[in-house]
Amino acid sequence: MKLYKITIVFCCLIITSALIVGCKGNNKDDVGDGDDTEVSEAYDASGILNHYANNVVYAIYSDLDTEAGVLLDAVKVLQEDTSQSNLEAAQEAWVAARIPWERSEAFLFGPVDTQGLDPALDSWPVDRVSLQKVLDGNDEITTDYVKNELEDTQKGFHTIEYLLFREGDKRQVSDMTDRELEYLLASTMNLKDSTAQLANAWAPNGGNFVNTIVSAGEGNSVYRSQSAALQELVEGMITIADEVANGKISDPFNEEDTTLVESQFSFNSIADFQDNIRGIQAVYTGNFRSDGSGLDEFVSNKNSELDTRFKTEVQAAIDAIGAIPNPFRDAITNDRPAVQAAIDAVGTVHISLQQDIFTLIGESKFK
Amino acid sequence: MKFFLTFFVSILMLAILCGCNVDQPTDVSTSSTPIDSTGALSGGDTTILSESSHAFSTPAPNLSDAALEKHLDGDLEFEAIFVTAPAEVNPGLGPIYNNITCINCHVRDGRGKPPTVDEKFVSMLFRLSLPNGENGETGQSPIPVPPIPVPGFGTQLNNRAIYGTPSEGTVIIEYSEQTLTTADGTRIHLRYPDYTITDTYKPIPENVEVSPRVAPVVFGLGLLEAIPEETILTYADQEDVNGDGISGKPNYVWDVVEKRYKLGRFGWKANQPNLLQQVAAAYHDDMGLTTSLFPLENSHGQSQLKQTPTSPEVSDEVLDVVTFYVQTLAVPARRNVNDPQVMHGEQLFAQAQCADCHIPTLRTGVLPGVPSVSNQTIHAFTDMLLHDMGHDLADNRPDFRASGSEWRTPPLWGIGLVRTVNGHTNFLHDGRARDLMEAILWHGGEAEKSRQMTLQMTTVERDALIAFLESL
Repeated sequence: MKLYKITIVFCCLIITSALIVGCKGNNKDDVGDGDDTEVSEAYDASGILNHYANNVVYAIYSDLDTEAGVLLDAVKVLQEDTSQSNLEAAQEAWVAARIPWERSEAFLFGPVDTQGLDPALDSWPVDRVSLQKVLDGNDEITTDYVKNELEDTQKGFHTIEYLLFREGDKRQVSDMTDRELEYLLASTMNLKDSTAQLANAWAPNGGNFVNTIVSAGEGNSVYRSQSAALQELVEGMITIADEVANGKISDPFNEEDTTLVESQFSFNSIADFQDNIRGIQAVYTGNFRSDGSGLDEFVSNKNSELDTRFKTEVQAAIDAIGAIPNPFRDAITNDRPAVQAAIDAVGTVHISLQQDIFTLIGESKFK
Repeated sequence: MKFFLTFFVSILMLAILCGCNVDQPTDVSTSSTPIDSTGALSGGDTTILSESSHAFSTPAPNLSDAALEKHLDGDLEFEAIFVTAPAEVNPGLGPIYNNITCINCHVRDGRGKPPTVDEKFVSMLFRLSLPNGENGETGQSPIPVPPIPVPGFGTQLNNRAIYGTPSEGTVIIEYSEQTLTTADGTRIHLRYPDYTITDTYKPIPENVEVSPRVAPVVFGLGLLEAIPEETILTYADQEDVNGDGISGKPNYVWDVVEKRYKLGRFGWKANQPNLLQQVAAAYHDDMGLTTSLFPLENSHGQSQLKQTPTSPEVSDEVLDVVTFYVQTLAVPARRNVNDPQVMHGEQLFAQAQCADCHIPTLRTGVLPGVPSVSNQTIHAFTDMLLHDMGHDLADNRPDFRASGSEWRTPPLWGIGLVRTVNGHTNFLHDGRARDLMEAILWHGGEAEKSRQMTLQMTTVERDALIAFLESL
């Protein structure tokens, strides 16, 4: 949950401005004051929030649930017919399911947090001692067993990853025990239950957290203004940009410690990092399920140069991460300039979000 | 950087002060009124303006670069997930515990809750003890008596365990509803919890004392630690000499480092003297992790423990940065301080004598090593003292000098953002209150008069009171 100090400085600045600006707009004395034309015009962000909640967040969670379903189907097929090609299909399905999950890390707030789904889906490290004991034991491994008896460190994406991959290599089907296949099936069913719960929590015909975002403003007990909802939206991007630049890539790089690498069993780290930034791209541009009102619509309206520059920076960050030779765990030692370039590129995105875009929102008045 | 920060914060204060009240002069540049007269800056210079889910989890804005770095190191450790030993990363969990990482209970550094019907215990736990024979019928002890551990269970029910190890047991919660009617005929439902310990790995004594606790918010704690002891004792009135029906009693609890009794400050019954010990106790009691302060496992002497670690599972360095982390989280500013309904509610809060214990304004002293929280004017709405809250709220588990019906006045800052941060509005020590009005109406004992006054209020007045609380 780290937001660097610079955020706070600008937070103070912008909210200060917002108060002054906003209150001027409310002040009877200002009526008819020609100097305040710009600040008095409240921007209606409802289109942006509507598109964000429906066509980015909910759409990505729906994709996550769909891909988890594909993974589950692949694991079931593997269970029926334990062939190398079926194992590879399951491995590919795991990699595919990571894509929407990593994109969704650009909005880690709301039900994913308050319903404990982030820990259930993505806890790290894997408790390998306990996992091995389960495999060595006689407990019947069912979905309920995984859900109720096992810790978050013995379920979710990384436990499934550990069962499907080893040291970056796809496992050979001949190495897999019956107990491992049972564990794989039960933990994948558990994963699918969690993704369904998450998608449903946002679904307009379910928990409808979509509406919590869309209806931001007076009478909304979570987001009492459009500004508060937009703050959440941008903080979501800031958090993941910070995490990728200063945590996910930097920590193993600075320590040269491969045990700190995300998705280390599958060597999927670089794709994970890229999808984190693609999540930012989707939130910012609004282009995901369908093109529509992204935050860029607001930013370009206020400062088209900033909008153009930021879009370039985001693409540059995705490209810089992609330029790191695979696997990431070797690159932190063997290709340090490439890794450093990626850190710098993501860091630029992080700073622009904090210093420019967050500030712009704070300075502006919304309906 | 520091200059700019101070500058911005000053402007911010002025903006809050002058910005939105159309009835007052709004000339910021010439205002000579004392800054923050509306009390919006709940945490002094550590205040941030946030209305998002980051409201509780942001570093204080007045940290130096070095302090911020230390805070962020603490942040990482606060989120570290522990696993069964041996392991490359974060070994040593358990063998019995309540959770596997700080952040899973204190989600977004926020407030825990009791589980709903389909949920497991995540951010709620149960303290245990045996009657100590010292407290008598009133549960009042003139001298501090530490909780007596229950043989085989200690002082906390660890409902989880590493694979292949039995946990100590679990708890079934059942609620029954009762209805209150206000003077103007509004019916308000309260749910009365009943807790049954079950599935224990060995029989538990019939006379066990059980105290449910949800995880409290962890921001602003350095400020509370920095309130001078003399200030807190100013509000103490143990024998109610002033006859207002409110006592205010300091707890005195064992400091394991200094090896003497000290003023209790933290926890629902003020049973920890400082944040270092609070953090170490949480690692120990809640996660089964040893430290230099608590070198023995929480399962010491129990059958679950197979091997005692030879060195602390959590280093002094980690303890230090995590303590610093909870000392230096920002406090969210109040919102809508000039809204007429909120201002009306603030008056009612004072009139109903809520503010006699939930003290609106305090001044911190110097907390060595943490200048950001030192010498601040804060609005925590607590006196840090114990008060008898009556029979209905009693846990009947004494804790040092706290009786079975006494609780520390909890701070109210940020309470209006709990829904935004944590997605629920469950309040009080066990989350039994489902909204703020229920929480008010659970107050008994020394607060009985306040409760009665709330029941006498009109709907308009009660709405104003809630609007005030939601602005905190």
